[in-house]
Amino acid sequence: MSPETNQPVSGAPDSRQSPAKSVTVPIWLMVLMFLLLYWGALYFDQNGAWFSAKVYAPYRTLDQVEAFQVSSGASDVFEQGKAVYNKPTCAACHQTGGQGSPGQFPPLAGSEWVNEPEPGRIIRLVLNGLQGPITVKGQSVNNVMVPWNVLSDQDIAAVLTYVRQNKEWGNNAPAVTPAQVKAVRDKIQKTHPGPFTPAELMKISPAD
Amino acid sequence: MTPSPSTSALPDAPAEAEIDSSCRLPLFVLFTGAATWVALASVFDLIASIKFHAPDFLTGCAWLTYGRVHAAAANALLYGFALQAGFGVGLRIFAQRGGARVCQPGLIALGGEIWNLGVLVGVVAILAGDSTGFESLEMPRYAALILSLAYLLIGLWTVLTLRRRREPGLAAPQWFLLAALFWFPWIYSTANLLLLAFPVRGVEQSVIAWWYSNNLTVVWLSLVGLAAIFHLLRKDAGSHARSGGCQTAAVSEADGGRGSERTALTPPLSHAMGEGGAALAGPGEGRLIGNDYRPLFAFWTLIVFGSWVGIPSTAPAPVWMPTLSTIATVLLLVPLLTVAVIVCGTLTPPPSHRMGEGGPALPGPAEGGGLPSSSSSSSSAASYPAVRFVKFGVAAWLIAGAMKIVAVLPGVSPFIQFTWFTAAQSLLNGYGFFAMTMFGAIYCMMPGVAGVDWPLPKVVRAHFWCSAIGVLLLVVPLAIGGVVQGIQLNNAEIVFMDLTKATLPYLRVSTLGNALILLGNSLLIGNLLGLSARYGWAHFVPVYRSMTRGPATMEVPS
Amino acid sequence: MNRGPLVFLAAFLALAASWSGFVLAPQIQIGRQQQETNVVNTAELYPQARPGLARQGLEVYRANGCAACHTQQIGQRGTDCEVILTDAGTNPIAVAEALVNAKVGISQASGAGLAAGLPKTILCGVTAEVAKAAVNAVRPTGAKAKIEIVPRGPDIARRWGPRRTVAADYLFDYPVMLGSQRVGPDLANVGLRPPDANWHLRHLYAPRLAVKDSIMPPYRFLFERKKIAQQPSPEALPLPAELAPPPGYEIIPKPQANALVAYLLSLRCNAPLFEAPLTPAMAPSAAAPTNAPAQ
Repeated sequence: MSPETNQPVSGAPDSRQSPAKSVTVPIWLMVLMFLLLYWGALYFDQNGAWFSAKVYAPYRTLDQVEAFQVSSGASDVFEQGKAVYNKPTCAACHQTGGQGSPGQFPPLAGSEWVNEPEPGRIIRLVLNGLQGPITVKGQSVNNVMVPWNVLSDQDIAAVLTYVRQNKEWGNNAPAVTPAQVKAVRDKIQKTHPGPFTPAELMKISPAD
Repeated sequence: MTPSPSTSALPDAPAEAEIDSSCRLPLFVLFTGAATWVALASVFDLIASIKFHAPDFLTGCAWLTYGRVHAAAANALLYGFALQAGFGVGLRIFAQRGGARVCQPGLIALGGEIWNLGVLVGVVAILAGDSTGFESLEMPRYAALILSLAYLLIGLWTVLTLRRRREPGLAAPQWFLLAALFWFPWIYSTANLLLLAFPVRGVEQSVIAWWYSNNLTVVWLSLVGLAAIFHLLRKDAGSHARSGGCQTAAVSEADGGRGSERTALTPPLSHAMGEGGAALAGPGEGRLIGNDYRPLFAFWTLIVFGSWVGIPSTAPAPVWMPTLSTIATVLLLVPLLTVAVIVCGTLTPPPSHRMGEGGPALPGPAEGGGLPSSSSSSSSAASYPAVRFVKFGVAAWLIAGAMKIVAVLPGVSPFIQFTWFTAAQSLLNGYGFFAMTMFGAIYCMMPGVAGVDWPLPKVVRAHFWCSAIGVLLLVVPLAIGGVVQGIQLNNAEIVFMDLTKATLPYLRVSTLGNALILLGNSLLIGNLLGLSARYGWAHFVPVYRSMTRGPATMEVPS
Repeated sequence: MNRGPLVFLAAFLALAASWSGFVLAPQIQIGRQQQETNVVNTAELYPQARPGLARQGLEVYRANGCAACHTQQIGQRGTDCEVILTDAGTNPIAVAEALVNAKVGISQASGAGLAAGLPKTILCGVTAEVAKAAVNAVRPTGAKAKIEIVPRGPDIARRWGPRRTVAADYLFDYPVMLGSQRVGPDLANVGLRPPDANWHLRHLYAPRLAVKDSIMPPYRFLFERKKIAQQPSPEALPLPAELAPPPGYEIIPKPQANALVAYLLSLRCNAPLFEAPLTPAMAPSAAAPTNAPAQ
C-alpha cells in the first residue's frame, strides 16, 4: 500500500498509521449464539418428538399419541366388532340382529357354533369360508359363505368377540383375541387354503 | 478518454468510465423493468386492498377477482421487481468493486428482457386463472421456463463479470451476492421440479413450498439487500467517494475531472480488497481497519440458520418440522444483531475521525445536481435522499426480523397465526426492507452509470416520503389488526363475522398506505424517464448536431 | 473469505443441509404415504380420492385463489378424555365405591345416581391415564364404561372440525392449498357443516345474501344468465328483487360453480387416525360423496 494514497482526501491528519487490526465479532454475540443453540437443543428434545412421523402438535412424544388410541379395553373391541359386522360385512347375510335368513343363511344368535368355548372352528370358518350343508339350531342350511381372510386379525377378533358376547342375541362365549386369529391363520394358510366343509370342521378340535 | 497517470500502473485496468458504460444497458433494462413491475404490483395491491371495503369493486371481471389479483401483485413484486432489481444491483456491485467491465452487457440486457417477458406471461396466466396454487410460486410452468432461460443469461454473465475482477479477494457485498447468485437457481429449480414438473404427494408439496418461499423471501432478499446496504453504507469520508458509495455524476460540475478523483481512489480500493476483504473501509477512503469478521459471521449465520426457517407451527406435518423452523427463526437473532452492530458502527463513527473529516461517516457526495461536488461532503450526506432509502431499509430489515422472531415464540404464535400480522411482517420485509434498499441503490447507481444525474432531486425526496409513509401506513395497522384478530380467533365465543368487522378499520388505513406506495412507485418511473431523457439529451443530441454540422466539428461526448 | 469457490461451497453446503432437512427427509417420511386404515373402522382406507366433479372443483378453487382468504387446516391445543358409563351392571353401589376408591377425581358417587340415565358421562376433561384407570376400576364390578377422545382447541370449539388436520388428510390433492390467512372462515370440514349445495351457490353468487356484512367478493362469473325456456330451470337461483335478473331471465350456475360446490361439500377431515385420535360423534364415513349434482 503506497503511503500517499493512504491519506484521506480531505487532508485530515492521519491518526491511524498503526498496523491494521481486526474487528472481531463481539464476544457477547458469540455467547448469545451458543446459548440459543443450547436452548434450541432443549426445545427440540422437548417438542420435536425426535423426528417421529406420527407425532403432530400438540402431542410431543409417540407415547402420548399411543395413550390416546381408542382400541384398548374390552368395550372398545365390542364397538369395533359391531362396526365391522354392520359394515355390512356380516349383516348383509346374517342380518343386523344375527337372525340370519331361514333356509338361506344360518342365524348367529344362540348358535351353538358361535358359542363354543374355544373359537378354533369359528375362526377357520370366517377366514376361509364354508361350503356344504350345516345344521344350526336344528335347521339345516346348504349355502356358500365367502372367505373373509381379507379382514385383519384385529377385525376378525373384534367381530367374533362382538358376536360371541352379544347378550342381546343370547350369546355368551369368551372373547377372541387377534393372537388366536393369527395362530389359526398361520396354521391353515398352507394346509387348507380353500373353504371348509362342516364335516371337516367337526373333525377339528375347537381348541386348535 | 485518456487514462490518468496512476491507472497506468495497471495497464489493462478498464477506466471507470468504461466500467460505467458497460453497465449502462443491462442496468437500464433491469431497473426500468423492475420499476414498471413494482408500479404494476402496487396497482394490483391497491385493487385488492380496496376490495375489502367495497367487495363489489370490479367484480364483473373474473381476471380481477381478489384471489387472482392478490397473487398477481405478489408475483409481480417478487419476480418482476425484487429479483430484477437485485440482479441489476448485484451486477453493478460486481463491476464496480471488481473494477471490471461487465461481461457481455448485451446478453445480460437480453436476459433482462426475456425475464420481463416471463413475468408478463406469468402474471397474465395468474389473472387468467392458471395459477399453480402454491404461494410465492403461482406462475405456471411455461412462465417458469422463460424465467429460467432469462436467468441463465443474466446469471452466467454476472458470474463471468465477477471472475474478471482485478484481484482475487472478495469483499462482503461480493460474497453475499455470489451466494445469492447460486441460491436462486437452486431453490427455484428444486421448487419447480418437485411441485410443478414431477409433483410430490400430499403435504410434502406444502413443505417444499414453504421451504422455497422462505429461502427466497428471507434468505435471498436478505443476502442481496444486505449486500447493497454494506456496499452503499461504506464509510468513506472523501466527498468524491467514487468507488462504491453514492456519488454524483456531476458531469457538468467537473472540478478537475472525475479522473483525478478516481485515480486517487482506485488503487487503494483494490488494495483494500486484497487485504482480506474488509467490507467496510475505515473512515478515509482506502484506509483499512483490517479484517472485519462481522460480515463474515452475519453471512454464515444467515445462510445456515435462515435456510431452515419457514415451516409454520400450524403445519399439518409431523411436529419436528415446525419445531426445527421455530429454533432456526429464534437463531436468526444472531445475524440480526450482527448486522445491527455493523450498521451502528458505520453510522456512528468514533469521535477522533469526526474531528478529522468534519462530517458524518455516510458516503457523501453532493445531492444530484444540487450541491457542488468539490466541497467536503459533510452536510449533504445526511440529506441525500438515496441514502435515506437505504437507512430505512436497514431499519425495516431489523424490525421485520424482530417481528418474525417474536411471532414464532410458542407463547405468541397462537395469537398471530393466520392473521394479518404475518402478512404485515412479510410486507415489511419485502417492501420496507428490500424495495426501499433497491430504490436507494437505483438512485445511487444510475447517475454514475448513465453519466447524468437525476433531473429533479425533489421528486426523489418525494418518492422517499411517499414510500416511507406508505410502508408505515401499510404495515403498522396490519400488524396491530393482526394481533387483535389473533386474540379474537382464540376466543371461540366471538362469532367469526364480528372478528372480520373488527379488522376492517385497520384494513382501511392500510389501503391508504397502498395508495401512497403506488404514488411513490409512479414517481420512480417518472424519475427514470427523466434520467433517460437527460441522458438522451446529453448524448444523442450532440451526436445529431455534429452529424448535421459535418465531420470536422464532431465531438464525441464522454 | 477471499476466494470465490469458498463462497460457493459455503452456500452449497448450507443449502444442501436445509434441502436434506426440509425437502428430502419429509419426502421420505410423508411423501410416500399411502392410504391409512381408519382407527375405528379398520376395514376402511382413508383418505379416499375426491370424485370427479369435486376434483374439477379443486381446480376452480385453485384458479380463483380462494386460498388467499381461506385456510384448510385445523389446529388443536390438547386432547381430553371422557369416560361414559354405558352399563351399571347388577351392582351400582359397588360401581360407585370402585370409582371413588380409584381416586380418579370422583369424590362421591351414589349407586342409584349412577344407574339412572345411562349412558352417562362420569368424567370429562381428564387425561388418558385417569380415564383408563376409571374404566379398569369399574370393569370388575360388571359395569361397562367407554372412553371418548375429545380434542380441544379454539378451532374445534368454533366447530370448524373435530380434530387437527394431519398429512393424511391431503394425500390425494394437487395442489395442496392450505392457505395462510383467515380472512374468511376455515374450510377444512366445510362439507360436514350444515350449509347445503344451494346455500353455497347463493353464497358464491352474492355472499351478502347468505352472510350479512360479508366481505367476500361475489363470483358472478361462475354463473350465467339465461332466457327462461318454457319453464324455469330447477337449478335457477332464487334471488331477491334487487339482485334478480330482468323478467324472463334466470341465473343458473355454470359447471364450474357446481364443481366448486361439489369440492366444498367433499371437504372433510374427521376420520380418526393413529396420529389424530378421536372418538367420532357419528359413524365415520370415509366414503366421499358421489358425483350426484347438487340438489
